[in-house]
Amino acid sequence: MLAGSARSILLHPGLLIDIAWLTSSLSTVDPLAMQTPSLRSRVLLAVACVSGTTLVLYAIRSALGPALVPLLYLLPVGLSAGLWGLTAGIVAAFAAFMTFNYFFIEPLYTLSVRHTSDLTVLLAFFAVAIVISQLMGMAQSGLAAAKAREREATRLFELSTALAGLHDEKEVAQIIARLTFQEFLADGVEVGVEGLDDGQRVRERQPAGWSAPDRTPQAVGDLRTARRTWGAIRIWRGTTTFSPAEERLLRTFASQGALALERANLAASETRARVLEESDRLKSALLSSVSHELRTPLATIKASASSLLSGAVGWDSDARQDLLAAIDEEADHLNRLVGNLLDMSRIESGALKPDRKWNAIGEIIDGAMAGVRRPTREHQFEIRLPKDLPLIEVDYFLMEQVFSNLLSNCVKYAPAGSTVHVSAEAPSAEAVEVEVWNEGPPVPEEHLGRIFDKFYRVTDADRVTGTGLGLSICKGIVEAHGGRIWARNRPDGFAFHVRLPVSPTGNLPPAPPEDLELA
Amino acid sequence: MKNQPHILVIDDEPQILRALKTILRERDFRVTTAGTGEEGLALAAAEPPDLVVLDLSMPKMDGIEVCARLREWTQLPILVLSVRGGERDKVAALDVGADDYLTKPFGIEELLARIRVGLRHAALAKGSPSVVISSGPIVIDLSTRQVTLDGAAVRLTPTEYRLLAYLSGHAGRVLTHQTLLANVWGDEYRGHTEYLRVYIRQLRKKLEPDPDDPQILLTEPGIGYRFVTPE
Repeated sequence: MLAGSARSILLHPGLLIDIAWLTSSLSTVDPLAMQTPSLRSRVLLAVACVSGTTLVLYAIRSALGPALVPLLYLLPVGLSAGLWGLTAGIVAAFAAFMTFNYFFIEPLYTLSVRHTSDLTVLLAFFAVAIVISQLMGMAQSGLAAAKAREREATRLFELSTALAGLHDEKEVAQIIARLTFQEFLADGVEVGVEGLDDGQRVRERQPAGWSAPDRTPQAVGDLRTARRTWGAIRIWRGTTTFSPAEERLLRTFASQGALALERANLAASETRARVLEESDRLKSALLSSVSHELRTPLATIKASASSLLSGAVGWDSDARQDLLAAIDEEADHLNRLVGNLLDMSRIESGALKPDRKWNAIGEIIDGAMAGVRRPTREHQFEIRLPKDLPLIEVDYFLMEQVFSNLLSNCVKYAPAGSTVHVSAEAPSAEAVEVEVWNEGPPVPEEHLGRIFDKFYRVTDADRVTGTGLGLSICKGIVEAHGGRIWARNRPDGFAFHVRLPVSPTGNLPPAPPEDLELA
Repeated sequence: MKNQPHILVIDDEPQILRALKTILRERDFRVTTAGTGEEGLALAAAEPPDLVVLDLSMPKMDGIEVCARLREWTQLPILVLSVRGGERDKVAALDVGADDYLTKPFGIEELLARIRVGLRHAALAKGSPSVVISSGPIVIDLSTRQVTLDGAAVRLTPTEYRLLAYLSGHAGRVLTHQTLLANVWGDEYRGHTEYLRVYIRQLRKKLEPDPDDPQILLTEPGIGYRFVTPE
């Protein structure tokens, strides 16, 4: 009969869950992941514990001495207080006191007491049980608090580790959203950051593709620092409310997140300041380089034009032709200088966003050649491109600029009457490599790596004209396409190599739709 | 002189206007100049010229808009002038219907050559709308959809034919990738420049004596294609 009632307690559905919880709390599990059992189930657990003990003690009562029973009854009391807190402990103490009296103290099966000594034992037991449960209960709540703090510290550590070194507001918002989502077992989390310096708004949601519901979020953590409010973390989670501990953790998350946002923002401002400073420095360097470079062709044009105007040069003389040709050539030269300046400023301002389309290398080289051929009547060109070169997904106009700069550089240093060569190959299915080379003198090895630097010149500035920008423009453009550019000495000349990925995504150009022959 | 072709030059830079006016008058053209887009549109409407030379970078109304407004009512040839770095504007102007382009600074012979091509094609287009277009040995009969090369029939796929018909129907004009793709394949194919490369190569193989050195189906590097009829 008693056994039956014990089983019915064990089969109580709420209790089963609580027992499951008990085992899970003994193995190590995310404590916030499970809810602390309600007071009712904790009391029921305590009663079940005492009932179980009674069952066992009653079954083996003949083997037990009278002193042993109260001692053993302290077990469920201590256990209840230790596991389920002070209240459960006191309930267990009281239940143990009653069952002890009922089943083991004469007269049996009544709550009355025959011997005074038994009463003393009973009272002493009750007092000890209460004291034990109080001590255990205190220890348990202390332990729980310590565990909660440790967890909080661990989470915080994870958060700050994840946030450390991030310089992008969007990434910071992503990390906050992800960790908050995991930590609070939310249905969805939204991290909104507003009014950044560049007027940008960042909205990060977890899980991916989830959209915030209309109802108000369960909890909101303001991302606030001493300087300003950056935004907020909003958490939606079924119907469960947030415990004070969770709210505290959310506040800590929010303040850590806000600090990271502030840090990212400051870093961005600093980068902007550095870029400005750098571009300022560049501009002064450019000005000094350019004013010299511009003056040379201008002087030629001015001198030629004014002597033609003066009428001192005969109409049909060779001198007249020479002067006109000089004006024409120097105007082209000026045009190239100005073009390079423009390109450089576009690259420096970071406005270089390749507009990628599928292009044929051959077409790019043809386009570049059209601009170079005219001022180089004294050089031949040999272009060898395999017919099966793949198309490449690049910005046509930027790439044309690269090859036009490389070709004019090759022409500039090539001996008169020599040939400038262009060849290409596809070393793999994913890349194309173009070689542009002349039959000119080698460049000392120590310069090879640096010729793509701004204003870097191998030769004396006075011997060859140019701003020293052309090759660094090439490098900027090629790198913006995810490619690589380098120079090397050939046994028979000097070569530039440009290697470009066929496509940034690794895709191949889509084939046109099927088309049938006309009948 | 009565038969002097009339050219309207629209540019906001007085030096360019002065130079072009002088040079073109030397070459027996009648020249009108306008310093703004609005003035240019008004002059073109008051006395339609034979050809417009249009600078793209102008304050207030820019060249692309002038081009689009002109195309609302006239097919007269428009030659746009762009600068280095203004490639996207150039393509945009060609997209809205400009015929040809030149990049500043340009040599005057280049300008004159483009003007001659523009005038010639405009004169051809002015005649009765022809169902037969020919360029050198190639004859395209739009009524029967027959294409012949030196009198021999050429077999084309439907797409090849549509592309060739569109190109030859706008002979002399620079047709951008976008324009060709939208008109031959459909608007949703505007991005697929690779289709064009495949089909242009096929057409050249069937029509050009040397497909690697085309004489009729010309490539405008980075911009598009042009069908030319020899002078």
